[in-house]
Amino acid sequence: MGRLERIAAEQDRAAGRGLSRRGFLSAAAGSTLLFGFARQTKAAQLYPPGAPLPPEEFEPTIWCSVAPDGTVNVNIIRAEMGQHIGTALARIIADEMEADWDKVKITYVDTDPKWGLMVTGGSWSVWMTWDVFRQAGAAARTVLVEEGAKLLGVTPEKCVARNGMVIAGARSISFGDIVAQAKPVRSFTPDQMKNLPLKPASDRRLIGKEVKALDIPSKTDGTAIYGIDAKIDGMVYGRPKMPPTRYGSKVVSVDDSVAKKVRGYLRYIVLDDPSDTVPGWVVVLASSYPAAIRATDALKVEWTPGKTAHVMEKDILDHGRMQIDGSDGGTMIFNDRGVDDAFKRAHRVVEREYTCASVMHYQLEPMNAIARLKDGIWEIHCGNQWQTLFLPVIAKSLAVPESKVKMMSYLLGGGFGRRLNGDYAVPAALTSKAIGGKPVKLILTRSDDMMFDSIRSPSVQTVRVALDEKNTLIGMQHHAAAGWPTQVMAAAFMQKGVDGKPYDQFAIAGADHWYDCGPVRVRALSNDLANDTFRPGWLRSVSSGWTPWAAEQFWDEIAHEIGRDPVELRLSMLNGGGQDGRNKGEAPDSVGGALRQAAVLKRLAQKVEWGKPLPKDTAIGIATTFGQERGMPTWTAGAVRVRVDRKTGIVTCEKIWLVLDAGTVVDPDGAMAQTEGGALWGLSMALCEGSEIVDGVCKDRNLDTYTPLRIADVPEMDIEFVESTEKPMGLGEPGVTTIGAAIGNAIFNAVGVRLRHQPVRPADVLAALKEKSST
Amino acid sequence: MIKRILAIIVGAGIAGGAGFLWYAWYPALPKVAPPQPGQFSAAKIERGRIVAAESYCVECHTRQDIGGGPRLAGDYKMVSPFGAIYSSNITPDPETGIGNWSEEALRRALRYGISRDGSHLLPAFVYDHFTKMTDADISDLYAWIMSQPAVHMTRRPNGFPLSISPRFTLAGWKLLYFRPGVYQPDPKHDAMWNRGAYLAEGAAHCGACHTPRGLLGAEKVPDEMYDGGAVDGWIAPPLNDKNPTPVVWTEDELYDYLRNGVAPLHGPAGGPMSPVAHDFLATVPEEDVHAIAHYFADVDHAAQRVGGDKAALRTAMEQSKRDLAGSVLSTDPDARLYQGACAACHYNAAPMPVLGRPELALNNALWLDEPTNLYLVMLRGLTAEEGQSGVAMPSFYNALSDHDMARIAAYLRRTRTTLPPWTDLDKKAAEARKLVEEPPVNSSH
Amino acid sequence: MIKFKLNGRDVSLDVPEDTPLLWAIRDDLGLTGTKFGCGVGQCGACTVHVGGRATRSCITPVSAIEDAEVTTIEGLDPAGDHPVQEAWRDIQVPQCGYCQSGQIMQAASLLKDYPSPTDEEIDGVMGGSLCRCMTYIRIRKAIKQAAAAMQSKNSGETSNG
Repeated sequence: MGRLERIAAEQDRAAGRGLSRRGFLSAAAGSTLLFGFARQTKAAQLYPPGAPLPPEEFEPTIWCSVAPDGTVNVNIIRAEMGQHIGTALARIIADEMEADWDKVKITYVDTDPKWGLMVTGGSWSVWMTWDVFRQAGAAARTVLVEEGAKLLGVTPEKCVARNGMVIAGARSISFGDIVAQAKPVRSFTPDQMKNLPLKPASDRRLIGKEVKALDIPSKTDGTAIYGIDAKIDGMVYGRPKMPPTRYGSKVVSVDDSVAKKVRGYLRYIVLDDPSDTVPGWVVVLASSYPAAIRATDALKVEWTPGKTAHVMEKDILDHGRMQIDGSDGGTMIFNDRGVDDAFKRAHRVVEREYTCASVMHYQLEPMNAIARLKDGIWEIHCGNQWQTLFLPVIAKSLAVPESKVKMMSYLLGGGFGRRLNGDYAVPAALTSKAIGGKPVKLILTRSDDMMFDSIRSPSVQTVRVALDEKNTLIGMQHHAAAGWPTQVMAAAFMQKGVDGKPYDQFAIAGADHWYDCGPVRVRALSNDLANDTFRPGWLRSVSSGWTPWAAEQFWDEIAHEIGRDPVELRLSMLNGGGQDGRNKGEAPDSVGGALRQAAVLKRLAQKVEWGKPLPKDTAIGIATTFGQERGMPTWTAGAVRVRVDRKTGIVTCEKIWLVLDAGTVVDPDGAMAQTEGGALWGLSMALCEGSEIVDGVCKDRNLDTYTPLRIADVPEMDIEFVESTEKPMGLGEPGVTTIGAAIGNAIFNAVGVRLRHQPVRPADVLAALKEKSST
Repeated sequence: MIKRILAIIVGAGIAGGAGFLWYAWYPALPKVAPPQPGQFSAAKIERGRIVAAESYCVECHTRQDIGGGPRLAGDYKMVSPFGAIYSSNITPDPETGIGNWSEEALRRALRYGISRDGSHLLPAFVYDHFTKMTDADISDLYAWIMSQPAVHMTRRPNGFPLSISPRFTLAGWKLLYFRPGVYQPDPKHDAMWNRGAYLAEGAAHCGACHTPRGLLGAEKVPDEMYDGGAVDGWIAPPLNDKNPTPVVWTEDELYDYLRNGVAPLHGPAGGPMSPVAHDFLATVPEEDVHAIAHYFADVDHAAQRVGGDKAALRTAMEQSKRDLAGSVLSTDPDARLYQGACAACHYNAAPMPVLGRPELALNNALWLDEPTNLYLVMLRGLTAEEGQSGVAMPSFYNALSDHDMARIAAYLRRTRTTLPPWTDLDKKAAEARKLVEEPPVNSSH
Repeated sequence: MIKFKLNGRDVSLDVPEDTPLLWAIRDDLGLTGTKFGCGVGQCGACTVHVGGRATRSCITPVSAIEDAEVTTIEGLDPAGDHPVQEAWRDIQVPQCGYCQSGQIMQAASLLKDYPSPTDEEIDGVMGGSLCRCMTYIRIRKAIKQAAAAMQSKNSGETSNG
C-alpha cells in the first residue's frame, strides 16, 4: 500500500488535486470565463484529505504503515457509507499499536486480490476485523518497541509504547523517528501475528472513547468525493432507457429520430450482456448528463416484455401463502425433534399471518458508475459494498478474465444494502466496451433507479404455537416466504439448513430465535415469483428488519391469548434453555446467550416503566431481538410509545427507547449514530414507506409518492448500550429490528386492534377500529 | 401591461364591424423629415423617457420570440383567434419605422388610434388609455422616440386571412366603445391621487389587463373597472376591493410591489407583471410610483378595509405552519408532498412573513377563482430578474406531474384559504402546462 | 453565454439555457459538493444559495439565474468554518454525508431567517431536506448550536462596538 498510495499521490499531483478548495478559489480568480478545476478521478480515497504519506514508510502488515514523519496510515477495505467504518477500524489498530490518533489517516483502497473478501454489510465490519486489526496493531507495536529500544540503548522489556512514542523511563523516541532512523522492514505472517500478545481491555485508550470521525470534515465542506463525483477526461455521459420488465425484455426496435434533435446527443447502444444482469437495457450517450436525460426521454424503444409484465404485489404475496401452505418446500433452519408431535397433541394451536410490503432503498446517491479500459485493465469507478461479488460478474459481462477488472473505491452516498448489488456497474462497463473502452459515466435518474431498485421483497410469514390444556407452550413454528437476494445474486454464499438444503440466511435471520418454547420449526421459502419479477435486495437489517414484525407481534398476541404479560412471557422463555442447548451461547460471539437478551429486555422494561398507566389511546409496545443474526448477536430490546387518533387513524410515535448489548462498543458516538439512524429506519418502514409491485415493476418512482421519514417525524429517543468487554458485534442494523413490531404492539395496547401488514396506514387503523367496534 | 390581451379585440372588432365609412375615414398626414439630433433638449428627452417607461412602450414594441429583437423595432408577437399579429417598428427609421411621422401624427395615433397614413390602428395599441395623455407628455414622448437609434426592420406580416380588412370594421368598434379625450382631474381628490389616476388610466394602461372585457373585447368600464382580467394565460387579479387576498393591498404594499417587484406580505410579481416593475416603474421618479400606489389604495378601499388585517395576518401565519411541524407521519400525503417540494421556501413563522419566503396564505394566487396563476408559477418558476430581484424559484415543470400539482393546489386551497375547493384540478394543470411552450428546465423526473 | 457569480466570482457558461444549475455547477464548473438526489426538488441534496436564499439547483435552469449570485457549499465560508459547518463537525452530524451539503446550505439560510429557531421552525424549513441515514436528531441539535454560536458572536461584536 505504500506503493499504492504513492501512485495515488502521483496521480494527484499530475491532476492538480493537491489544490485545496480554497486553493481552487484563489487559483481560479484570474479568469472569468469557463473555469473548472481539473480534479481527475483518483481512487484509494484518503481521509482526512491532505498530503499523502511521505515515502519509505514501515509496513509491518498489509493493513497499516508508519511514515518517517510519524503518520500512520490504515488501509480500509470496507465501504464508507456513513458508518464511519474507517475511523472505527483504524482505532482498533491505533489503540493496539499505541499510535498518536492525531497522526492517523485512513485509505479506502481499490480492489486487489491481496485484500481477500471485500464486502461491507450485515453489520459485520467491526466484528470481522476486530481480531485481525488488533493483531496487526500488535505487530507494528512489537517492531517499533524493539527498534525503539535499540535506538534508546535499552532492552525492549524496559520500554513501553504510548501515544506514538516508545518510552524508556525519562527517555523517549517517536514512531516517526524510529522509522526514519532504523528503517525497519520486518513483516509478519498471519500465523506469527496470531501469537503476538494483545493488550488487556483495561489498557485501551482509543477503543470505546470519543473520537471524531476522520471522514466527517470533508462531508461538511463539499470536498468528499463520492462515486458520482468521479471525473475522467474525455468521458461521455450515459443514461439507461429501462425496459418494461427487470428480466426477459427484448429490444425490437429503436428510433432516435427525436433524440437526435437534442443538443449533445451522441448515440444509443443496445446492450449485449453475457452476464444477463441488464437484459434489454439500452443506453443513451451524450456529451452532458442533461443532454442524456432529455435524449433518453426522447428515444423511442419497442420491447417484447418479459413474462412478469403483469405481476402485481398481491400475486407475489399469494404465491408466498401458497408456498407456506405446502409442507414440502423450503429449507428447515430449525426442525426440532418432536415439533410435529407437539402440534398433533396440542390442545390448541394459535396461528397468525403477517405480511410486509416492498420497501425501497432510496439511497440518496442514485446508482452510477464510470467504466473505461486503461492499459488493458477495465476500471470501474463507483461506490460499492461487495466488490468481491461483482468483479466476476463484470468480467463475465465484458468477457474478460477477472484479473482484468478493477474497482476503484469512492465514498457511498448511502448503501443500506443497495450497493451490495453491483448491477449498475455492468451497463457502464458494457457501454464503454461498445465505444472501444472510452470512459463512460453512467448515471441513473431517480426514477430509473427506483423502477428497478433491488427492493426488500414483500414477505408473508405464518407463525403458530401449540398450547396444552394449561396454556403451556409445547411447540412453535415460523414459516417465511420472500424473494431471496442471496440466491439470486450470490448463491454460493447461501448457508445449509438442518435438512442440508441451501437457504438465504438473509431472508430468514431473526426468525431463528433464542426463546425456549418447546420444539421449534423455522422454515424459509424462496418466493420464485418475487425472484423472477424483481431483483430482491439486501436492505438495511435484511430479514431481521421484517421477521420480528411477525415473531415479536406474535408473542404479544400469545401473551394476551393466554393471559400473561408480554414482557414476563418473553423473560420466562429467555432462560438459556432450548433443544440441544442452542440458546446457552458460545464463545466468543454469543457468550451468555439468551440470558443477555433477557438482561436488555429487563433493563428496557425498567426504563419505560412498563405497566405504568398512560393517557387514553396512548401506549407503549415492546419487542426484543438479537440484532442481525444468531451467529453475531447484538442483544436488543426496543420500545415505542404511540398515540392513536381514533378519528383519523393516524399513529404518532412519541418516543423510542432502545437498550442494546453489542459487546465492546468500539466507537460510542458512531454506535449511537448508527442506532439512531437504524431505529428511525424501523419507524419509517413501519409507518411511512412501503411500495408495491405494479405490472412487474416498482410503483413508486420518486418522493412525490414514496415518502420516507423526514425531520418533523422524529420522536424523542433514549438509547442505551450495556457496558461490556465482550467481543464487539455489529451496530449498523440492530437499531432497525425491534421498532416495527414494537409499534404494532403499541397500537394494540393503545386501541386494541392488531395490524398485521406493514406499513401501517391510517386507513388500515380506521378499518381495524371499525371492524372491532362492529364485533 | 397590455401585452397580448388585446389581440382578441381584433377579432371581435372585425366581427362587430359595420361600414361607418364617413366616420372611418381620416386623411393621411404629411411625411416629415426625421428630426435632427440636437433638436430636442436633454431635459425634454429625459421627460420623454419617463413617459415611455410609464407606458411600457418597449415591452410591446420589441420582439421577444425567436431570440428577441432590437429595442422598439416592433415585431412583438401577439396571438389572436384570427392568427398572430405583430407590433410596429416605432424607431425613427423613415422606411420601416416612424421616422417621418410628425409630432401631430404621433398625437393623433395615441389619442384617436389613427396611423399617419389615415388607417385605423388595432386596439391592441391601447389608445383607449393613451387618449388620456396630455399634449405635453406626448410631445416629450415624441422627443424621446425620435432620439432613439433607428432600426431598419420590417415586422412579420400579420396572420389575418386576406378577406378580412380591419380598417373600416375597426371604425365601427371605435364608435361603439372608444371615447377619446385627455384625462380630466377629479376635483374631489388631491393632486397625488389625480397624478396616480392620470398615469394608471392613461399611459400605464392598468385596466388593459386588470379590467374584464366584453364580448367584443372592450373593457367593461366603468361598471367592472379593475375587477380583474386576463393576460397571456395569467389571471390579472382585481385591483379594487374585490381583490380576494386576506390582507389589504395598502399603499405601502402597492408601492413596494410596483417599484421593486415584491410586496412584503403579498409576495413577488410574476408573469407579465414582473417587467412592469423591474423594467419600467423601477426607472421612473418614485413620486409617480407613489402616486399610482396612492390611487390604487383608494380604488381598493384600503383605508376602510385595513382594520381586519392584523387578525387576517395572524390567521395566515398560523395556516402557513400547518402540517409542517411535529410528527406528520402518515398524515395527509398531500401535506407530505407540500413539505418536500414547497415548504422549505414557503414556510413562515409568526408574526410576519420573511421577505423571500413568499407567504402563500396571503398570495393572490391561492385566492383567485382558478388555480391558473399558482400553476403557471409552479411550472415556470421565477428567474432572478423576476419578482424579488436576485432570487429565483425553480421550475417544477419536470418535477411535478399534473396530478402532483393538483394535489398541492387542492391542499393549499383547503388549508390556507377559507374558499371553496377548486374543481377539475388535474385537467386545469394539464391546460396550464400547455401554456408553457417548452419545458423551462431539463431536469429528470 | 450565461453569466452569473459563483462563490463571489464572475463565471460564464456556454450551455443550453434549460441546463439545470446543478449540472452546470457540477460538470461544467467542477464543484461537486452540490449533489444530485431526486432531480425533482424534493430531497434538498442539490441546495445552493441564489441571492442568499436556499434554492434547489436540480430544477433551476441556468437561464433563471442570469446575473444572480450563487453560493455553493464550497463557497459558504472561505475557510469552511461557517458556524453551521463547525456545529456539524462538532456534533458529528454526517453519516454517509451525501445530503449534508444541502442540509448545511439549507440550515445556513434558515438561520438568516430565524436566528434562534424553535423545533417547529426547524421542522418547517428543514422538512424539505431528506437524510436517508436519518441524522435528523443531530441536524436539529447542530442547528441550535450554530444558532447559539452565531448569536454569541454577534452580541460579542456589538458589545465590543
